[in-house]
Amino acid sequence: MNVIAAVKAYVVKMTEESEPGMKVLLMDKETTSVISMVYGQSEIQQKEVFLLERIDSPNYANSTGLRYLKCLVFLRPTQQNIEALCAELRNPKYGAYYVYFSNIIAKADIKLLAEHDEHEVVKEVQELYMDYLAVNPHLFSIGLPTCMNSLSWQQGALQRTVQGIISLLLSLKKCPAIRFQANSGLCKDLGTRIDEVMSKESSLFAFGQSSQPLLLIIDRRDDPITPLLNQWTYQAMVHELLTINNNRVNLSNVPGVSKDLSEVVLSAEQDSFYAKNIFMNYGEIGQNIKQLMDQFQAKAKSHQKIESIADMKSFVETYPQFKKLSGNVTKHVTVVGELSAMVNKHHLLDVSEVEQEISSQNDHSSHLHSIKKLLSNEKVRNSDAVKLVMLYALRYQNHSSNELTGLVEALKKRNVSERLLRNIVNIMEYAGSHARQSDLFNVENAVKITKRFIKGLSGVDNVYTQHKPLLHETLEELVKGRLKDHLYPYIGNHFSGAKPQDVIIFMVGGVTYEESLTVHTFNKNYPSCSILLGGTTVHNSASFLEEVEQATRNVPRRHTRNIRNIKFD
Amino acid sequence: MAEADSIREGFLCPICHKDMRSPNNLITHFQDLHSEEQDILKSIKDIYGIAKKKILKIDDKDLELFKKEITLEKYYLEYSEPQQPGPVRSHTDYFKSVRRERLDHRTTETNKLVIRLDRLLRFYGSDRKQQEQELVAWLDGSTVSRCPSCASTFNITRRQHHCRLCGSIMCNSCSCFLSYETAQTIVAPVSSVSNREHGPSRESDSLRICHHCLDMLESRRRVQIEQMIQPIICQLYSHLQKNKFQIQSSVDMYNKMYNSLISGETTYLLQDLQALRTTIADKAQMIDTLSKKIASLPVEVETPKAAALQNSIRKATSIYIKDYLLTLPAPPSLQELEKLRRSCVVKSSEEELVPTPRTNIKKVTVTTGWSPAHVTNDRAVAEDEDPLLEQMSIVRNYIAQARKAQRFEEVASLQENLDMLKKMYREQQQTMSNNTKSDK
Repeated sequence: MNVIAAVKAYVVKMTEESEPGMKVLLMDKETTSVISMVYGQSEIQQKEVFLLERIDSPNYANSTGLRYLKCLVFLRPTQQNIEALCAELRNPKYGAYYVYFSNIIAKADIKLLAEHDEHEVVKEVQELYMDYLAVNPHLFSIGLPTCMNSLSWQQGALQRTVQGIISLLLSLKKCPAIRFQANSGLCKDLGTRIDEVMSKESSLFAFGQSSQPLLLIIDRRDDPITPLLNQWTYQAMVHELLTINNNRVNLSNVPGVSKDLSEVVLSAEQDSFYAKNIFMNYGEIGQNIKQLMDQFQAKAKSHQKIESIADMKSFVETYPQFKKLSGNVTKHVTVVGELSAMVNKHHLLDVSEVEQEISSQNDHSSHLHSIKKLLSNEKVRNSDAVKLVMLYALRYQNHSSNELTGLVEALKKRNVSERLLRNIVNIMEYAGSHARQSDLFNVENAVKITKRFIKGLSGVDNVYTQHKPLLHETLEELVKGRLKDHLYPYIGNHFSGAKPQDVIIFMVGGVTYEESLTVHTFNKNYPSCSILLGGTTVHNSASFLEEVEQATRNVPRRHTRNIRNIKFD
Repeated sequence: MAEADSIREGFLCPICHKDMRSPNNLITHFQDLHSEEQDILKSIKDIYGIAKKKILKIDDKDLELFKKEITLEKYYLEYSEPQQPGPVRSHTDYFKSVRRERLDHRTTETNKLVIRLDRLLRFYGSDRKQQEQELVAWLDGSTVSRCPSCASTFNITRRQHHCRLCGSIMCNSCSCFLSYETAQTIVAPVSSVSNREHGPSRESDSLRICHHCLDMLESRRRVQIEQMIQPIICQLYSHLQKNKFQIQSSVDMYNKMYNSLISGETTYLLQDLQALRTTIADKAQMIDTLSKKIASLPVEVETPKAAALQNSIRKATSIYIKDYLLTLPAPPSLQELEKLRRSCVVKSSEEELVPTPRTNIKKVTVTTGWSPAHVTNDRAVAEDEDPLLEQMSIVRNYIAQARKAQRFEEVASLQENLDMLKKMYREQQQTMSNNTKSDK
């Protein structure tokens, strides 16, 4: 199961079906993201797509067309898009239209479109199922920054998620059995809705599959720890510190960055260095980059030696590749440089060490001591300080000598904003022990944190983390066929107990890149089974806290009345 | 030992795979042995005029190392399995059936209007109004008190008017006017001009029609106009694509020939490879020029998209040249080729020696000084009677011709034919010599 390849296959089909000729690709906001996750502009140009247009951009309706172009239309089947497309067909800007919808479309909508095609410009109308963002081969996202209101589904979000997963299943030709996390109403709702669509569209889901795959729906609230932690593998770290949005990282706030690097694309598809280092540890990337830089510098020194034409020729021949590589290297040097600056400036190594200890060991007094020490450190960011207190609050929620009130006072002394303080209450309401069914802090991990210092780029140390996300344990039980039926019941009547080969895990409330790495490692270690991970979004700690805030807005405080020194108006 | 041969590392020459043991040796080796090939360089030069300066600053042994560093690494994110394209549901048939229903109706309506218009244009004289009403029954105005399209009341100042094409009623401000000139072009798009010269002069030069009828006629006219116009960019682009398509097949052929040469086969000659490379370079030059031409086409102010399109085509073409054409492997040098051939000949003769003793005998007969086979052979050539020999010379001739025309696919198949003929001929000689031997 490879979502990137699945989407690519569809795009190839789309561009090839329309026969040769100059083409324009007409998309909406979301389908633009779908395509841009797997194809760069120069790649899609090789498929004769020379113009990209957005049907929902305000100028589009009034812009002039070019009749000699073929128009590939790739839209989500929403009401808005159908209306816009009807208007487009009545006054066609281009010569011929090949219309593709990213999901199942209602027959009535097809009829409406057909009635507006007075100029007979439409040549094809098809459903291609790619209504989700393919992030990595084993990772997809629906692209919903938040999905909950008052601790239950936002209506639009539930609908969107169902559509996204249905299209995912179709694109991979899977008709799975569905299991869900028993204590989560959200998971049950989602599973039931998916099951309904699957039986309604049973003709579409009639694949001859040798073994039945499994769709396991779980809730982010069972593991609120993972998204709060600082990360030390490349992709996760970039997302945590700089934020990856549709494979793009905004570097415009980095001091002294050149203009062409103000936004960089990090795509494993087009960037071999990134593909290679995506799961590497911070220190290892530093080393790899240093090697590349050394070679560049060596080149800068010992170059004047191109005398013969043959010398020059071999250069010219390898130049395109070389140019691409050098571009990538400058990009990664800038990114890693910025990461390293932030790590040093905000003492993230020290913060992370304490985070890791809290998340995987049980030692109240020493943890309390370490947190207090960090709270008095001026260099530590307020957001990191608050996250430490959150971890403490989650870990020692029911501890007899809980000192949360004292820690909150210490935060107040640091002039931490009200909003951040309230987030402590929010996360306890969102994912306190009442909301979890697994024993998040069960594993007593005796391993001390190992911090190894390898000199790579100056100031880049290597960190090996000991925290393992809850998902790791769930997967372990799953592949061994020991996942308990009462904790993860089936929807409908299904034979249980078999070990599924293809597993799709979907996490309501968003996944993290740390969990993506977990899944990747699992796929490597258990070649017999293939696991795909997805979520409503891919979170870092900042976006996760926003989601928590949204989800708990207007929720009465039931479980946090003891935190008296944080008040809501 | 055989395994050690298949995987080698060190400072290998990318062309002849010889280990040079040090980067400097490799560079000298490169300068000495792989320094032909100026043709493609020439065509590349202007593309990389700017890039050249940068390139000159970098040393190629580092580049080589650097490339190795990148390409030899295993991607961390790898694809476990190729993904089959997912299912597709097509609504095209349903869409078209719905559309047909509607459009059929519309087309007949439009055609009706055109026929009427044609008749109307022939009416002239004082009884025109009457004739018009005979052709199209005008709606009875007595029951209509308001204009159907703007809902204003009819009165002395706002009078009723009739559409000449469908007979419906509207007020003056809702009327549209179709000039006779336009009407003529709608009815007879090609011959309109000459007809009008002879036609009677008109007192009014337009027809009053309703909005609905005008719409239908207009869209029909627009379709006709668009069918006739093919802008220059389309011609250039199709030219570009045609060349690109040819290049693609040349490139495939080139790779095939290159691999065949490198593996020591003799189907193709080194000159073939070099000639094809020149052809590719020429074509690359051609599409480069074409794309430049497209990029510099004048753009009208009202279509800013055309500019974006043209630049985009230009960009795509130069990327295509850089990424797909300039990365082709350079042909091996003569010496290289000799070496390759020799090693291959040794290998293949060894292979032949072991399994088939018959070939062994054949070899002896061919190589020993005087034998009956040789006599017949000579005689056959002299008399030119053997049909096999004749056939062979014809095929050789064909090969030369095909080679000249750069039709390498044919060269390959002809070469195969020739080899077969040779084999047959040899077998024939063999049996003949055996016969003579046994006769003795």
